[in-house]
Amino acid sequence: MTPFELLQPHTVGEALACLGEGARPFAGGTALMLMMKAGVLRPARLVSLHRLNLAGVQLNPDGGLRVGAMTSLSALERSPEVRKGWPVIARTLRTLSNVRVRNVATVGGALAHADPHMDLPPLLSALGAQVKIAGKGGERSLPVEDLYAGYLENTLKDGELITHLDVPPLGKRGAAYLKCTTRSADDWPAVGVAVVLSDETRIFISAATDRPVRIADESALAGLKIEGDLHGSADYKRQLLRVYLRRAIDEARSAVH
Amino acid sequence: MKRAAQSTETPQVGRSVPRLESWLKVTGRAEYVHNLRLPGMLYGKIFRSTVAHGRIKRVDVAAAQALAGVYRVITSKDIRELIPEPYYGPAFHDQPILAIDKVRYVGEPVAVVLASDPHVAEEAVHLITAEYEDLPAVYDEVEAMTSKAIVHDILKPAGTFPDLKHLGGRKNTNIALDFHLRRGNAAEAMQSADRVFEHRFRTQQVMHTPLEPLVSVAESTENSLTIHTASQSPSFVRIEIARLLGWPENRVRVRVPFLGGGFGAKLYIKLEALVSVLSLITKKSVKLSLTMEEQFFTITKHASTFRIKSGVSKDGRIVARECEVWWNGGAYADIGPRVTQKSGFTAPGPYDIEHVAVDSYALYTNLPPAGALRGFGIPQLVWAYEGHTDLMARELGIDPIEFRRQNLLRDGRPQATGTVMKDAAIEKVLDRLEALMDWKSPLKNTSKTLKKGRGIAIGFKACVSPTTSLAAININADGSCIVYCSTADMGQGSDTAMAQIAGEVLHMAAESITVVHSDTDVTPYDMATLGSRSLFHMGNAVKLAAEDAVRKLNQLRSELQLPADCPIPDIFKKKYGMQAGNVAGAGSYIPTYKSPDANGLTDNATPFWMVGGTGVEVEVDTETGKVCVTRMVNVADVGTPINPKIVETQISGAAIMQLGFTLHEKMEFDAQGQLRNASFAEYKIPGFLDLPASIVNEAVVAEQKSGPFGGKGVGESGTFGVSPAIANAIHDAVGVRLTALPLKAEDIWEKLK
Repeated sequence: MTPFELLQPHTVGEALACLGEGARPFAGGTALMLMMKAGVLRPARLVSLHRLNLAGVQLNPDGGLRVGAMTSLSALERSPEVRKGWPVIARTLRTLSNVRVRNVATVGGALAHADPHMDLPPLLSALGAQVKIAGKGGERSLPVEDLYAGYLENTLKDGELITHLDVPPLGKRGAAYLKCTTRSADDWPAVGVAVVLSDETRIFISAATDRPVRIADESALAGLKIEGDLHGSADYKRQLLRVYLRRAIDEARSAVH
Repeated sequence: MKRAAQSTETPQVGRSVPRLESWLKVTGRAEYVHNLRLPGMLYGKIFRSTVAHGRIKRVDVAAAQALAGVYRVITSKDIRELIPEPYYGPAFHDQPILAIDKVRYVGEPVAVVLASDPHVAEEAVHLITAEYEDLPAVYDEVEAMTSKAIVHDILKPAGTFPDLKHLGGRKNTNIALDFHLRRGNAAEAMQSADRVFEHRFRTQQVMHTPLEPLVSVAESTENSLTIHTASQSPSFVRIEIARLLGWPENRVRVRVPFLGGGFGAKLYIKLEALVSVLSLITKKSVKLSLTMEEQFFTITKHASTFRIKSGVSKDGRIVARECEVWWNGGAYADIGPRVTQKSGFTAPGPYDIEHVAVDSYALYTNLPPAGALRGFGIPQLVWAYEGHTDLMARELGIDPIEFRRQNLLRDGRPQATGTVMKDAAIEKVLDRLEALMDWKSPLKNTSKTLKKGRGIAIGFKACVSPTTSLAAININADGSCIVYCSTADMGQGSDTAMAQIAGEVLHMAAESITVVHSDTDVTPYDMATLGSRSLFHMGNAVKLAAEDAVRKLNQLRSELQLPADCPIPDIFKKKYGMQAGNVAGAGSYIPTYKSPDANGLTDNATPFWMVGGTGVEVEVDTETGKVCVTRMVNVADVGTPINPKIVETQISGAAIMQLGFTLHEKMEFDAQGQLRNASFAEYKIPGFLDLPASIVNEAVVAEQKSGPFGGKGVGESGTFGVSPAIANAIHDAVGVRLTALPLKAEDIWEKLK
């Protein structure tokens, strides 16, 4: 790891001003530090987001969920609001990495990282969640499903930060997220499937594709571009998607909350 | 922590004494080399080969040397000024301290950067460039038998260990050792057998993954060297470093505190040669601590191919067996030749077979070196012979346990080498497996997609021989006791076991005894902490040392005309007029042994046998091929358990480690010999969520009469049966047979489609 400058701004405005050439925002750091240790990223400056007061979970007036980008994954997992209104999120987090990582990793970081093997992007996409993004030109909103351009590539512009996540009320809709690991239980998944049942059923798949992809139903799987890797061949992943999609729909149908 | 009362009549052996070091470990005060920082110490970072087999044309270190903060960059050229022939190894002197002229695998150390800041050293490593002339490479162990690519042009047998004196290697081949055993006439018996079965099994290359990666620190003066190292074999490190430097052994001191796991990765000599020369060249203290990633390029477990063929009579007796085993040793022999031979002679399995032929080959390839890993080759063999046994039983329509029982090797009968079996509770292990598995009860499938199955497997191992352990015991004037032995406690609980053995002889509570860790200036010689040998060999030596101390104390009592029950402090007070003096006891243990003859036969192959068996219940998902081991039963013959709780955790720990090697772990190489998954992100070891919901571990009632208080080794026995038991259970569940490890869900699904 090469030496770097660490800045700890107190406001989003200051943080945006600190970002620029060679700078990286630093949230939980669980992915960033690994990439820096591996020499993949060599930032000259890290801009810590820890003092921005962006941690916290609350209900919006419309009954939706508002999550600060710096909320840790374990805080989200343990939030009573989440457990009551979006139990599928709490269930998903229980097997997201391990408790040590969840204690440190943040919601904003987990969304911005854009690794297709992660659990929250497909689930939050299926739930119709939106992120609030702050940039030098002001604030904008974006559906989570539009946050991804490809493998480790998000659609944030240089110098933009995710500040909040808004999840609409789930209500009585059935929802499920299933993943399948092909080596140990804590491996990165070979496939992930998120399903939210309603008049307009939302299905997102991930891990087997380079970003979360929305599909209408099982018949769409045949035409998907899937890469084989150490987790399994493309054929095998397609089979896993078929099986886990059916199982996710079954689980969503029987989900009680 | 409160010290236990010293003198006691409570038996120490057979008591689940909590580990002596656990308090230190949970409060973060146990000594590890990882935490050692010496004044003015330099950190070394290794520049590694990027080609699998190549002639070194040029190594350019100028940019690295020029980086601010870099103390020096070292290549083999610098090392040869100190040691003209800087090659090391326990079986062959084939491994250069840094690559000379040639590189033989991707990841081989080529140069080292030294800096007082490890981050600077690491940064500088990225600035080194090397050019190689590519040479043809060989990766597969069977291809290596006939390959035109030759990994070593010259073979240099080490001649250090008595059991490896015969090593020669075969010039212009990749064969480091070929071991052959002929008993009876297998070919002829095969022809007259009613049925003949032949199968081929493979195992994959995996890594030990000790959570404390390899680490060594050296400090030196012009005529002395101290090495602080996470090593399982300090005595061997001293011998080998002294040989390299042409120094007497008393100028080299090797200290070993606690190890954060070893499993065979820290055996013989690893970083010690390199860290020593770095310290001698720079006249500074130097530390080398590998990352988890680098461990994959240091030492691994042999991949193997095993062709096994059996002739069976109409009534289900195995009358003949042929075994041909190829061991993928990687680029340097390490201890592969011993694995090839010691495991080779048990390749026919724990069965009473009259006609046996074994051919076992240690092969060089252009992969990271392979050595000993918890079982010394036995899990690879059991994987094959117990899959083969199960397949034969199925074909013959005989219950797998019944088929085994019919053919089992019983005490008093000669094993393949001709050595008569003694104190090997093979049948008892099988009986207990059958009972604990509730073998005859039917399994009911309650789901359409989850199919249940059951399987067992049983294996055995001969302890490596002949090997030596020495121990010393000091009785202080206040009656307290110190045990000195070079056994490394790497988590297996040897300190506790040795204290229990000494305490049993001395009538002292194990908790009151201090065990001094390996320090070759202080603790006596020990061959190494490996192959489940320490409890038996060092245990016997500690017992002898304690008995020697008791004899000397009794002698003093009688000289001083004290009663036989006179407390120890009173002896010293009478002798020296105050609390002064001490009594030293010494013990040395080496079992008898006879080298195999030209046919691989000997009537004394080993001091003791280890027996382990595993039974599992699995659920196989027919839509995905995913296997869930729902129940696991591990049974072993460990003689008399010295510490029942530690015995249980050794059995379950070994079985869980082997579970990873069975279902998930595999070093994946591309066509150029590049490792694709050298990190825990892509090389997955089992976590808690992978454990079977139910695990039962049992040590059968048994006694090793030649062992200390009836005990013998236990560290590996839990590994033996796991892999074939799971494959046999998968076959039982869905009719699919896999013959290569790991047992991947995708491969099962492919066969189910």
